[in-house]
Amino acid sequence: MAKLVALQHQNHPSFSLLHSSSFSDFNGARLHTSIQYKRKPVQPKGALHVTASGTKKILIMGGTRFIGIFLSRLLVKEGHQVTLFTRGKAPIAQQLPGESDKDFADFSSRILHLKGDRKDFDFVKSSLSAEGFDVVYDINGREADEVAPILDALPNLEQYIYCSSAGVYLKTDTPPHYEVDAVDPKSRHKGKLETESLLRTRGVNWTSLRPVYIYGPLNYNPVEEWFFHRLKAGRPIPVPNSGLQITQLGHVKDLAKLFVLVLGNEKANKQVFNVSGDKYVTFDGLAKACAKAGGFPDPEIVHYNPKEFDFGKKKAFPFRDQHFFASIEKAKSVLGWRPEFDLVEGLTDSYNLDFGQGTFRKEADFSTDDIILGKNLVLQS
Amino acid sequence: MAILSSPSVCSTAFFSTVKLLPRSLSPSHKLISFSSSLSVLHIPFSSSQLPITTQNKGTSSVRSGTNSVTITAAAAAGKRKVLIVNTNSGGHAVIGFYFAMELLGSGHDVTIFTVGEETSDKMKKPPFNRFVETREAGGKTVWGDPADIAKVVGEAAFDVVLDNNGKDLDTVKPVADWAKSSGVKQFLFISSAGIYKPTDEPPHIEGDVVKADAGHVGVEKYIAEIYSSWAVFRPQYMIGSGNNKDCEEWFFDRIVRSRPVPIPGSGMQLTNIAHVRDLSSMLTLAVENPDAASGNIFNCVSDRAVTLDGMAKLCAQAAGFPVNIVHYDPKAVGIDAKKAFPFRNMHFYSEPRAAKDLLGWKSSTNLAEDLKERFAEYVKIGRDKKPMKFELDDKILESLKVPVAV
Repeated sequence: MAKLVALQHQNHPSFSLLHSSSFSDFNGARLHTSIQYKRKPVQPKGALHVTASGTKKILIMGGTRFIGIFLSRLLVKEGHQVTLFTRGKAPIAQQLPGESDKDFADFSSRILHLKGDRKDFDFVKSSLSAEGFDVVYDINGREADEVAPILDALPNLEQYIYCSSAGVYLKTDTPPHYEVDAVDPKSRHKGKLETESLLRTRGVNWTSLRPVYIYGPLNYNPVEEWFFHRLKAGRPIPVPNSGLQITQLGHVKDLAKLFVLVLGNEKANKQVFNVSGDKYVTFDGLAKACAKAGGFPDPEIVHYNPKEFDFGKKKAFPFRDQHFFASIEKAKSVLGWRPEFDLVEGLTDSYNLDFGQGTFRKEADFSTDDIILGKNLVLQS
Repeated sequence: MAILSSPSVCSTAFFSTVKLLPRSLSPSHKLISFSSSLSVLHIPFSSSQLPITTQNKGTSSVRSGTNSVTITAAAAAGKRKVLIVNTNSGGHAVIGFYFAMELLGSGHDVTIFTVGEETSDKMKKPPFNRFVETREAGGKTVWGDPADIAKVVGEAAFDVVLDNNGKDLDTVKPVADWAKSSGVKQFLFISSAGIYKPTDEPPHIEGDVVKADAGHVGVEKYIAEIYSSWAVFRPQYMIGSGNNKDCEEWFFDRIVRSRPVPIPGSGMQLTNIAHVRDLSSMLTLAVENPDAASGNIFNCVSDRAVTLDGMAKLCAQAAGFPVNIVHYDPKAVGIDAKKAFPFRNMHFYSEPRAAKDLLGWKSSTNLAEDLKERFAEYVKIGRDKKPMKFELDDKILESLKVPVAV
């Protein structure tokens, strides 16, 4: 549906994202409305721009947990009509820490909900074809069979934007992972790979984004939270092996911006992009960065050999015990995207808006720490 | 451009640089535009080990052998007179040799000024013992003291000077000052990625903090002060035929003799080992695109890292041998890791972001493939059969009680 909106064009369309040095709470200001690198808008003269061809009817599969929360807000702010397809277990709109009442009211009044189970393929097909959407953001898809009914329902789909994973890469002796690198058909994330393959065969315009580890406020994966729990409790941080293993974190707000940047962007057509932070970090370095972010003193780090322990089903450390990082230079050079947060800034944002406010997803569980520390104490005596 | 040999196939292998036409570059790259008339340039090259390099070819494996190459006389239109002041030893020596060959292959004028005496024993080692190839390709070779550079190069005028010698200002200043006063337009300097301050957040990227007291830093600062068109290159480790310093050979020596490979620490330390042709291609791009290069620091490395363990494994795979890696703590064993092992015992990992962004440079190093070629040469020169002592290794293995097959 056409919407006549007076848009204040802050940026030249060819402008690529600037580093914003201002550091604000999440109220949308940090997530400044970005003009995409190459829009296909109508550009008539005069102050009033018809945005009909720029406004999309967007479906987000998921969208209430982490990336989608930030992504949906950006898209709504850009003037798109955004529907979240969820089972309705979580509220469609929840006010975020730092989000003003006005911003939240604006968002919650405009965000739409399509309630259903994406595993019910018949329902997916019928409900989507009844609605008709221009663009699908698939944020929570895991298996290829979940995608086929969506494509079947939307033959005129302009773009399928998929949240894949850098976990699809085959382990390498020569990091970083580049988008051209070999993938591992046996990995835990093979459903993501199979989805990417399906998208390729279907002839639809698709874009796949491969994040590494994502962090930021509302993270449901205990990444930074794992460190914060221990720092707050004044406990040592047990790190497996040398602590030199290199990983990489990408801030959810930076990810959301890239997800928006690929919308309607020719350069993203049928392309895969890694998405994460600009620099990598060692395990030891990450412990120290979390301490800085939360205003804690430098942590005591205890290294241990995981082979000497049996933790049962419990995870003693939140990261793969290996080097794991990916180059983001393709997204930077092809799309002009830049992550805004460096590691300590991003962890500080997460701390200030989430853990530091007293909120977290998982209760602290130091049982594996105690096993490790107990044995270490015994060895030292 | 004169045709130096007939287009028919010669028995000697040819070396030339394929300058691929159009590189895809963003509009921000300012390229000198070349005219497009064609000519043929063959450069006879006696060794088959310096293969044809293709720029901008990602991870393609390197080809060697006979190949006649058409290059545009566009290169001739932008012909530069380049002076390379080259060290007479060490890991960086080979850079000057490859750079000279690549420039000559692109039609530029090259003089290599090597420090010291032409008759010294140092000149019997690679790459210096291959300078005949440089001369055959049309390059000049001179020797002397960089402090007396005016005397050594005489009346010759140059557009570009690369100092691939000095590690401190005392050594480079005479060269830089002379170049400035004699009207050299562009000054390039081989610095070192070793000047970066160690970090918890790799990689080292251009602009990151460096060790203020490092000799190279003083040079970099001085050059930036006195020159308008300058560029600085920070390399790490290199492999390639003509290398003056052992790199992969250290691993091959042990692997072919079925000896354990002792690696300090966890073996997870990341480093960067590039084929020297990557460094040469980056330098050549800087010469041919001086505006784009001007005022910039470039990490002169490939775009992939490798762990120390990974390097041992890749060397073994290239050689077709198994490998037995043994980790040790140098302090516990009581040895200096610097003497026992050719790489830094820490993460030492830079990325060539500036070269990719500003020069449109692409890495072509492919360790798995390149090491096969390196191993072939290793065997060809008979180094696999050479009797060797491994005293430090033995000391390490003794303290770890690791058996060594006799």
